[in-house]
Amino acid sequence: MTDRKPLYLMSPALAWLTAFMVVPCLLILALAFFRRGIYGGIEYTFTLENIALVFDPLYAGVFLKSAGIAGLSALIAVIVGYASAYAIAAAPARRQPVLLFFAVLPFWSNYLVRTYAWIVLLNREGLIASMAHWLGYDGELPKLLYTESAVVVGLVYNYLPFVILACYAPLSRLNPEIAEASRDLGGSGWTTFRRVTLPMTFPGVATGFVFVFVLSIGNFVTPALLGGGQFQMIGNLVYAQFLTANDWPFGAALSMFLIAIMMGLLTLQTFATERASGTRPEAT
Amino acid sequence: MTLLSLRNIQKHFGAVRAVDGIDLDIRENEFFALLGASGSGKTTLLRMLAGFEAPTGGEILLDGQEISGVPPNKRPVNLMFQSYALFPHMSVAQNIAYGLEMERLPRAEIKTRVDEILEVIQLGDLAKRKPDQLSGGQRQRVALARALVKRPRLLLLDEPLGALDKKLRGEMQLELKRIQDEFGITFIIVTHDQEEALVMADRIAILRDGKLLQCGTPHEIYEHPESRFAADFIGVMNFLPVEQRDGKLLTASGDVITAADALDTGQRGVAAVRPERLHLGDAQGENRLTGKVSALAYHGLDLQLHLMSPAAPDPVMVRLTAGEAETRRLAIGEEVTVSWAAKDTRIFAV
Ligand SMILES: Nc1ncnc2c1ncn2[C@@H]1O[C@H](COP(=O)(O)OP(=O)(O)O)[C@@H](O)[C@H]1O
Ligand SMILES: [Mg+2]
Repeated sequence: MTDRKPLYLMSPALAWLTAFMVVPCLLILALAFFRRGIYGGIEYTFTLENIALVFDPLYAGVFLKSAGIAGLSALIAVIVGYASAYAIAAAPARRQPVLLFFAVLPFWSNYLVRTYAWIVLLNREGLIASMAHWLGYDGELPKLLYTESAVVVGLVYNYLPFVILACYAPLSRLNPEIAEASRDLGGSGWTTFRRVTLPMTFPGVATGFVFVFVLSIGNFVTPALLGGGQFQMIGNLVYAQFLTANDWPFGAALSMFLIAIMMGLLTLQTFATERASGTRPEAT
Repeated sequence: MTLLSLRNIQKHFGAVRAVDGIDLDIRENEFFALLGASGSGKTTLLRMLAGFEAPTGGEILLDGQEISGVPPNKRPVNLMFQSYALFPHMSVAQNIAYGLEMERLPRAEIKTRVDEILEVIQLGDLAKRKPDQLSGGQRQRVALARALVKRPRLLLLDEPLGALDKKLRGEMQLELKRIQDEFGITFIIVTHDQEEALVMADRIAILRDGKLLQCGTPHEIYEHPESRFAADFIGVMNFLPVEQRDGKLLTASGDVITAADALDTGQRGVAAVRPERLHLGDAQGENRLTGKVSALAYHGLDLQLHLMSPAAPDPVMVRLTAGEAETRRLAIGEEVTVSWAAKDTRIFAV
């Protein structure tokens, strides 16, 4: 891993990132320190009010709630995704690409369509309710749609393919003899998984978890559709500040914290990946 | 005392008979070598002994107990993998300690035993390194230590020296023998290198296409090969085509070969003789052969001679001791007669 790509090969990507990622982020960052105009515009006087407002229990609570939902979704997605990836990697080699294709297939359809599909499944006269009746269940079903659980289900479903791919990569590269060595030395199946297979494939788990968490915590479509406006996640709050409340500076402040959380997690994940692979980060 | 008995052991993968009915008894404290070309079923046999493959048929008895149904983690048998299969996320010391932790030994004892074995394989100062920071030879020793530290009844080694360069291999052959002796553990080593098997093993089993061809001490196998394949596979052997006619064995050049064995009348075969059994002159045994010297090579203590003879399609190899070579100056193109004893001649039908 000593070859360094010449800088000029990276320059188009760098230019792209600067123009469409770094500059807008800096603009948002700057915006957060200005005052909101009386009629929704921006008043260019310096203030820390927006930042302080983020820590208001009302908004901090939304952050915590979002983090909780994103964390739960990421956890479930990682457990289900890892198990699926494990099963795919254990299948005969020639069948693996097909299985992988089907696992990722939903991902190629539109995000909104996929989410609406869950409304059809979960609503009071939906497929699940009909099935329950058909099976002879007459009692009152618990409310399925427009709940936190519905949001979690929607998020897990949407991001599961990412996790499967992220976990499949290290699992399929694993030399099966290493797990056999653990068995040979006296390890049970579970011990072998816990002490050998899982640590060796942990980068995939970390990547999958962070991916789902980061995409979930900022998500506003799924909470809006499956949460039915019963509660807000950070994404909805930011959306509202920019598009309905017309409070751009506060929206910017919220976004900044969101970005900070994501960056922190991605850094941790990179660190975890390096530790597991035993390589040092390359100086760039 | 017999430690391990294989009774008609078989393993089929679909139509492939990787191991095809092997009977074998391995004694306690023996250094046993399984020798065979690539694809002869050596790894499959070891994997059945370690518990990773269930035999298609037959029995595996360890101390008289059938162990075919026992999972790998419950067998007093350890395998050193051909790929070493070290845990890449653990240090050398952690790799070695792993098997002892599985036995739930007290921490202090684990530490003592790990330190002990690190001493034996001379890797004490690398205990904290990860496998990817080690050389091939060092990794090989860690893999050995990791299996050895469990003090198994039986240690299986799958081509343990295969990945090492020639010089290191020579050293490790002696090292392995020393360690086996010191620990008093039964070793079954797999190799495709006949020289390695001859140097290290107390007994050798030759495998071919999943079948056991011959089993015996290196001396027995070298001096009394039971098949043409075994004769060819072990060491260097000259083969002279012969035919049984008028109660005699005749070579292509019409010379008579005298040997203990015979063929049926009219049957074709080969007479096999080792290069070191051929001597200069026509008075060193019942059999003789004349040919032109086509190559000469000194190998320190001995001289190798290639003779082109009408009796054989390939050059006949002759190995002369330095003393023997001094009795006569030899030059390429010269006509030379060699002779050898009937007792050193083996006859195989073709
Ligand atoms: N898991 C398997 N599935 C199918 N065929 C196998 C399998 N393992 C080994 N074989 C076949 O069995 C034969 C013996 O293989 P192996 O035991 O690895 O030989 P060796 O170790 O002597 O080179 C080979 O023909 C090989 O292709
Ligand atoms: Mg092999």
